[in-house]
Amino acid sequence: MSFEMWAEKYRPKTLDDIFNQKEIVDRLKSFARSRNVPHCIFAGPPGTGKTTAALCLARDLYGDVYREHLMELNASDERGIDVVRETVKTFARVKSIGEIPFKIMILDEADNMTSDAQQALRRTMERYTETCRFIMCANYSGKIIEPIQSRCAPFRFTYLPREEHDRCLKQIAEKERVKLSADGLSAIFEVCGGDLRKAINTLQASAALGKPVDAKVIYSIAGKASPADVQKMIKTAISGNFMEARDQLRDMIQKYGVAGIDIIRQIHTELFRAEVPEQWKIRLADVVGEVDYRLVEGADEEVQLSALLAKLVEAGEELRSKK
Amino acid sequence: MYAAWTVKYRPKSLNEIVGNSESIGKLVDWVKSWGKGLPKKRAAFLYGPPGTGKTVTVEAVAHDFSMEFVEKNASDYRTEEAVNRFAGLASQYGSLFGEKRIILLDELDGLTGTSDRGGVKAISDVVKDANCPVVLIANNAYDPRFSGLRVYCLLLEFKRPSAGEVAKCLKRICESEGIQAEEEALKFIAQRSGGDVRSAVNDLQALGQGKKKLVYEDVSWLGHRDRQDSIFSVLRMVLYGKTCSSAKQAVDMADVDVDMLFEWIYENVPSHFNDAHDLADAMDSLAIADIYRGRIRSTRDWSFLRYVIDYMTAGVAFARKNSRTSGWVPFKFPQRIQMLSRSKAERAMQLSIGNKVKHRNHISAVRAAKDVVPYLRIIFRNDPQMAAGLAKWLVLDEEMIGYLTGNEEKTEAIVKLMG
Repeated sequence: MSFEMWAEKYRPKTLDDIFNQKEIVDRLKSFARSRNVPHCIFAGPPGTGKTTAALCLARDLYGDVYREHLMELNASDERGIDVVRETVKTFARVKSIGEIPFKIMILDEADNMTSDAQQALRRTMERYTETCRFIMCANYSGKIIEPIQSRCAPFRFTYLPREEHDRCLKQIAEKERVKLSADGLSAIFEVCGGDLRKAINTLQASAALGKPVDAKVIYSIAGKASPADVQKMIKTAISGNFMEARDQLRDMIQKYGVAGIDIIRQIHTELFRAEVPEQWKIRLADVVGEVDYRLVEGADEEVQLSALLAKLVEAGEELRSKK
Repeated sequence: MYAAWTVKYRPKSLNEIVGNSESIGKLVDWVKSWGKGLPKKRAAFLYGPPGTGKTVTVEAVAHDFSMEFVEKNASDYRTEEAVNRFAGLASQYGSLFGEKRIILLDELDGLTGTSDRGGVKAISDVVKDANCPVVLIANNAYDPRFSGLRVYCLLLEFKRPSAGEVAKCLKRICESEGIQAEEEALKFIAQRSGGDVRSAVNDLQALGQGKKKLVYEDVSWLGHRDRQDSIFSVLRMVLYGKTCSSAKQAVDMADVDVDMLFEWIYENVPSHFNDAHDLADAMDSLAIADIYRGRIRSTRDWSFLRYVIDYMTAGVAFARKNSRTSGWVPFKFPQRIQMLSRSKAERAMQLSIGNKVKHRNHISAVRAAKDVVPYLRIIFRNDPQMAAGLAKWLVLDEEMIGYLTGNEEKTEAIVKLMG
């Protein structure tokens, strides 16, 4: 019996295996052919193949022993300046012993690095260019400081278009002998919006239920997998139960560590679908915007968001009194 | 809504009363002496600090001796005419139905200023010629206003019961509420109450209601306060404040720092504002107070604290327009502070699973904890085969598997499948 996370099992191994992001892949292939790679920034939303592209490039460059010439660092886990000073520098300055004179350092989620660490990194990049090339993966290139951006070749990754998304998932479903219906496939795309990692994880979790995977299964999985069930919280508040809504909020923030900013933006999306008086929607949008701004400024997430919940309770009350 | 324990466990009979056995004994002797003819002193004057059991003692006497109990308090004897209205009752020993009668004039301290002078004089007149036992109650019998009255009275002092006696009473309540309480915890509450049984019982209810167990840690945080005002009366001042200044005063009286007081208010606002508009306004005030806290952080200028205080106290108090409170609503310890430690452990677990995922999946542990762990949870709860395979592949230990399944049987099954 062998089981892996499918997202890993079906990760492309070489640049040839990647069937999306065509222009990017073509350029990377030319790097591999000429055996020279500049510093790069791979920017784009999650699940679009940034890390995969970097790993494939490395494999195409070094062959199966690519791991010896490669280091992966994750800035979300190790984002301090000390890591740049110690780990990164030690790796970068030692010369590689193959045909290719440089190693590759993949800095994942680089937009989570502190700006101090980025400043330190900038000098390291410069000094050890001969021996090490950096590939920085980030959701937003804007969060990477200018001097680093100007030293890197930028690559912009975008969400997979529908056809490629479907082709990939159908392939996996076939190999894993999962019955995936057409509406199930559309549901995955709707829920995951072209984030392939999330899509594959959703498919695998759905398969674990041991039933044919259709839209209903996908929606229930997505509901369970998302700790931020914002829709339910809004409903609870509008029905007038403030205490329970606040408890749900607490769970999201404290138990699951969902960022307040993600919650508020989801509230904004859900708000216009929610059952509140029409004239309240735009009034609430203003409140939501205000809370969003306050959170950006660093206010207490739970206090601000629960004040918003109280407003929803108020809106629900108005709705009921009219009926 | 809950019944207040001070009401639920109010003593009915003399043997349930905490402390003051000497004064109670004298009172009983005096009441009994009425059976042998009119005693020299027609009234007993019970005095002492609040919460020492004066009123309840008189009620218990009436109960134990099956007497008709007539109670009057401050509002009933403000003027001479008012007193005369019940003077007739005092002129007869016993009712039409042969029951003996006892009359209680409670809260004599409530008589104030010159307008009530007539009241004290009239009471003296009634007491002098009373044909049934009259009991007077005040905090301070030696107030000059009562000098004319005292001479007709048997003076009985009520003292604060010792902490041990209070603790015994608390223990009895815990037993009938089905709470297993540590002796230390009860002693601590008792000591803090300074002999005020009523406030001790209130504290016990606030801390212990609904619990199966009450341990020292549950109550010890009370110890950070050395002033007498409990956090509960401070909260009452904020949540039911009538003026800005009284609501704001709460901050000075509280013995917790402003941040902690904020947590207390934030926790308890929803259960004390039942009108949706009031609640929204109160929460809004707290949100604004929170913004000023942020401004203090970013500027390091603590003078902004005054605005934090304005909004979290007076701002909340004046949100009350239509909210009514019915019954006794308990104050709750700030849940999110309690939750913090619990969810810390949970997040640590998610992160350690995230770390395992990271080794296999080219994804940060932080992101794995958020994006992958939820899917793992679904898989582990539904497909033991796949779960066992993944557990092996990710090198998860049994504790992690247990967290993901949330169920012992499933965990065992998966571990077995792993071989």
